[in-house]
Amino acid sequence: MANTGWDEFEIGAMLRTFEGEAGDIAGTLQEDRKYTENSSFSASVADWRIEKPIFAKDYCIDCQFCWIYCPDMSIISRDKKMIGIDMDHCKGCGICVEVCPTNPKSLLMFPEQADEEAELAQWPAKETKEK
Amino acid sequence: MSEMKKIKNLKEFSTSADRFEGANLLCPGCAHSIIVREVLNATNDDLILSASTGCLEVCTAVYPYTSWDASWIHIGFENGSTAVAGAEAMYKALKTKKRLKQPDRNPKFVSFAGDGASYDIGFQWISGCMERGHNMMHVVLDNEVYANTGGQRSSSTPIGSSATTSPAGRVSYGEKKNKKDMVAIMASHGIPYSAQVAPNKWKDMVKKIQHGMEVDGPVFINAVSPCTTEWKFDPKDTMLLTDLSTDSLVFPLYEIIDGHELNITYRPKEKDIVPVEEYLAAQGRFKHLFKDQYKYLIKEWQERVDANWAYLNRREEARV
Ligand SMILES: Cc1ncc(C[n+]2csc(CCOP(=O)(O)OP(=O)(O)O)c2C)c(N)n1
Ligand code: SF4
Ligand code: SF4
Ligand code: SF4
Ligand SMILES: [Mg+2]
Repeated sequence: MANTGWDEFEIGAMLRTFEGEAGDIAGTLQEDRKYTENSSFSASVADWRIEKPIFAKDYCIDCQFCWIYCPDMSIISRDKKMIGIDMDHCKGCGICVEVCPTNPKSLLMFPEQADEEAELAQWPAKETKEK
Repeated sequence: MSEMKKIKNLKEFSTSADRFEGANLLCPGCAHSIIVREVLNATNDDLILSASTGCLEVCTAVYPYTSWDASWIHIGFENGSTAVAGAEAMYKALKTKKRLKQPDRNPKFVSFAGDGASYDIGFQWISGCMERGHNMMHVVLDNEVYANTGGQRSSSTPIGSSATTSPAGRVSYGEKKNKKDMVAIMASHGIPYSAQVAPNKWKDMVKKIQHGMEVDGPVFINAVSPCTTEWKFDPKDTMLLTDLSTDSLVFPLYEIIDGHELNITYRPKEKDIVPVEEYLAAQGRFKHLFKDQYKYLIKEWQERVDANWAYLNRREEARV
């Protein structure tokens, strides 16, 4: 399938997102779905990134601003908690960092090659606002 | 009829299982995707969707991939709305003939299209859908430009914006015509619901989408969609731009019921209203307006926005 060119695409062709019967998709979380290789979920845009977000869980208040405003469905929230970032689908836009309301921020952007553990160990301190 | 999805707050909303997938090819920071997610996640019902040609369609159906976890069709630039209307008409016919395999499901019919595909090229198709009374929703991803083909002006492009077919330069300040009032045009079809929405105000968006899905008949939604590429701002600032658009009242949020009853749904406090100048200054497409020779246009912009806000308020008050 991966080697099929656009000119081999049959008029009226149909792509199936899931294996077998789709069932109740709105009630099935991504990890429980059977995606086919035709779903872009099976692909990655990780190589688009120049910068990546890193998540410091300790400061997070689970407000879900990052979840609602991430354009790439890359903030993983389960049971009302933000639990991490989907690094296959994150394009590194930085919106999640901008909308994160905590001080210090629970999400910050770093160069793609940055070491997560090292950055978490030297996370910036709380900023005091000048009056 | 199926139960409306309960979304009391953002935490509850965040338990939604997305039916729109990543590794699509929309630009980093593209607002189209944020709008689509909010619309799709407003319901748990089955979805019959279409997209007209444009960034959303081109970037989410890159053969052999699809980013959609629901029935989705693309035909052409002009006819995404009628594709969905056709499916809806067939659904109704099968229902009447009692030939639906799952008659207890309650699918929602939604077409997505850009401003180019809605305000210009698909205009008569959408008008037809509204006039014929299909039980469907048309959502415009309004980035005020033909983004996918490189930034040509559409009839949604506002005055003073530099577009590739109306470029700003030595002799011109860019687009010279004012933006077409599509919400009013669509409301004048007498449809049960039309509204303007913005992705920053997700609660207002969800409320309107849910209402639109509940009413019987055609629904028109215009969603402001800041475009990092054509409006020329940093991708991280998409939500900032959306805030500026609603808080400057350049994109006021309101709804029109049954073609006449207008309600303003977001009314920023007097002190929180942002000067239009700030909205313009945040975007490269208006950069030239800050040259001395064109500064009078910024004043005119503010006057236009004020006049429109006063007009919406008068309509709301008069219940017409
Ligand atoms: C009939 C027709 N005319 C022109 C085109 C070329 N075309 C493809 S996408 C596009 C721009 C779409 O603009 P808009 O509808 O505003 O969506 P956006 O890309 O801005 O989201 C154009 C002009 C086409 N595909 N079909
Ligand atoms: S950087 Fe952008 S794409 Fe990545 S998680 Fe944050 S908002 Fe989503
Ligand atoms: S925006 Fe920040 S505080 Fe809110 S859920 Fe995301 S990481 Fe946590
Ligand atoms: S050009 Fe604009 S509308 Fe198109 S994908 Fe990029 S940001 Fe989105
Ligand atoms: Mg457009």
